[in-house]
Amino acid sequence: MTMRQTFLLICFATLIPLALEPNGYYIRILTLALLFAALGQAWNIVGGLAGQMSLGHAAFFGLGAYTSTLLLIHFGISPWIGMLAGGVLGGIAAFLLSLPTMRLKGHYFALGTLAFAEVFRVIANTWSSLTGGPVGLSVPFSEPSLAMLQFNETRSYYYLMLAAFVAVSMIFVIIVQGRLGYRLRAVKEGPDAAEVIGVNTTRVKIHAAVISGSLTAMLGTLYAQLNFFFDPDTVFGALQISIRIALIVIVGGIGTLFGPLLGALLIIPLEEFANVMLADRAAGLSQLTYGALLMAIVLLQPQGLAEFAKKLAARISGKVMSSKTEART
Amino acid sequence: MNTPLLSVEGLSKRFGGLQALSDVTFAVNTGEIVGLIGPNGAGKSTLFSTLVGLHRPSAGKVALNGRDVTGLRPHVIAANGLTKTFQNVSLFAGSSVLDNVLIGGLVHSRVASARGFAMDCLKRVGISDIAQRSAGSLSFPERARVEVARALCTRPKVLLLDEVMAALNTAEMDEVIGLIRDLRKDGLTVVIVEHHMRAIMSVCDRIFVLNFGQLIADGPPAHIARHPEVVEAYLGREHDV
Ligand SMILES: Nc1ncnc2c1ncn2[C@@H]1O[C@H](COP(=O)(O)OP(=O)(O)OP(=O)(O)O)[C@@H](O)[C@H]1O
Ligand SMILES: [Mg+2]
Repeated sequence: MTMRQTFLLICFATLIPLALEPNGYYIRILTLALLFAALGQAWNIVGGLAGQMSLGHAAFFGLGAYTSTLLLIHFGISPWIGMLAGGVLGGIAAFLLSLPTMRLKGHYFALGTLAFAEVFRVIANTWSSLTGGPVGLSVPFSEPSLAMLQFNETRSYYYLMLAAFVAVSMIFVIIVQGRLGYRLRAVKEGPDAAEVIGVNTTRVKIHAAVISGSLTAMLGTLYAQLNFFFDPDTVFGALQISIRIALIVIVGGIGTLFGPLLGALLIIPLEEFANVMLADRAAGLSQLTYGALLMAIVLLQPQGLAEFAKKLAARISGKVMSSKTEART
Repeated sequence: MNTPLLSVEGLSKRFGGLQALSDVTFAVNTGEIVGLIGPNGAGKSTLFSTLVGLHRPSAGKVALNGRDVTGLRPHVIAANGLTKTFQNVSLFAGSSVLDNVLIGGLVHSRVASARGFAMDCLKRVGISDIAQRSAGSLSFPERARVEVARALCTRPKVLLLDEVMAALNTAEMDEVIGLIRDLRKDGLTVVIVEHHMRAIMSVCDRIFVLNFGQLIADGPPAHIARHPEVVEAYLGREHDV
């Protein structure tokens, strides 16, 4: 995609809400999809560029949600500042997680990170005096204002999540094009060779993990502000967060710029509709349909939707080109 | 009087029950081209891997320009001017040739200037025409050259080449020999592992012979060719030219 096309895409995204009810069901799904696209992009730094299948990103996400919400409840601190505090804690947690998981490969890395997030879930469930335990936390609503990151209309949250997605994507692009991106690809494709030509593979992996963890924690704050309520399972849950994020990027196209967006735009609505349309027909049918659809996508398009979109675009532009030349002759 | 550029003292490496290197001692001076020969499984590649820090030696010492680098991580050793190519060729298969080489240049500079220098290295090795190709799509001889260019891009003082001439035809081999001589003119010190005796004999100032992890001979090519232990251990079976 060119700069121009990307710019047009962002313009289009800003216009979408005008066609939708500002507090309606569809804009809420899109808002959630944008949040998960941003989460996918943050995960992509570790999962796509470094090639490390993290299944523990819920740890950072929940940390961000709890940090800003607890600061808001107990000290009335604006979620903007809470978000920064959560980002710092998320970065620290990612750093600490890197130390023992650094040398793990493939499945072992996935399992190690999964266990790490589970620890957070258990702590949040048991340390009731701080976290409210399994009951969860409600974000106190004062009045709608940008300063307190609280709005009346879902439409405002849509723009917030869009901005978050664009921001995280810009960070992703900067990383890809810079030294860190080159080094991450080297680490992914040949760690020994990378070391021998001067890449500090340990430091590179820690850098990626800290950036990714920190961004994920900040997005956790945005989720808390959007939802106004969460409990340990919704923010620290493996299925709800960690696996969902990984799945979105894998389906969308791992390591690509538009993969997380495509994956989120497919999976989040799919989950919703599967739930709404099929839930009352037969218990479990919605999950089954959803699972079958996902499997079909992964089997038909193993490289992800981004690759599919690229091929499609190439075909369309190819047709346009050939019809143009035909017109000329 | 002057310290050798690379000095190795009593280096040993054990893999479980296998003594891959035992008590290897040698020194290489600035500007030398040194050959390392020995039968399959003698420990040549293991010696290279241990020198660049991929293996931690069981005993012994490696010094670069008088500085002890034993046990340091490979990237630190690379930054100090010692790097190698991989016998089994270990390119970043999903990246372009240029990007492979560029990464070597990041030791000393940012992406933009590393890209320029990487192009120079590709020209040097004679493969600037394939800069944009994906490393995964190359033939073995091409990949071996990318390995050399990538190593050169780290601006090494000592370069260890592990069988870069394998699978090359005679003309290509002569090109690589010419390249190694050119590199020496620029002040680079090279250690070559190679099975082609003609290549080794023609380009090296000195040859080490490794057998069962032990250094059994060290001398100028003419001397090595006549060494009785070498003839028995190695040349007797492998003299292929
Ligand atoms: N990582 C390792 N773990 C265990 N054993 C190893 C390892 N690397 C090498 N070896 C063993 O050490 C011995 C020396 O192997 P090495 O690859 O260094 O030989 P070489 O001289 O390079 O042989 P060739 O000419 O075939 O390349 C062999 O017996 C090999 O099987
Ligand atoms: Mg070898």
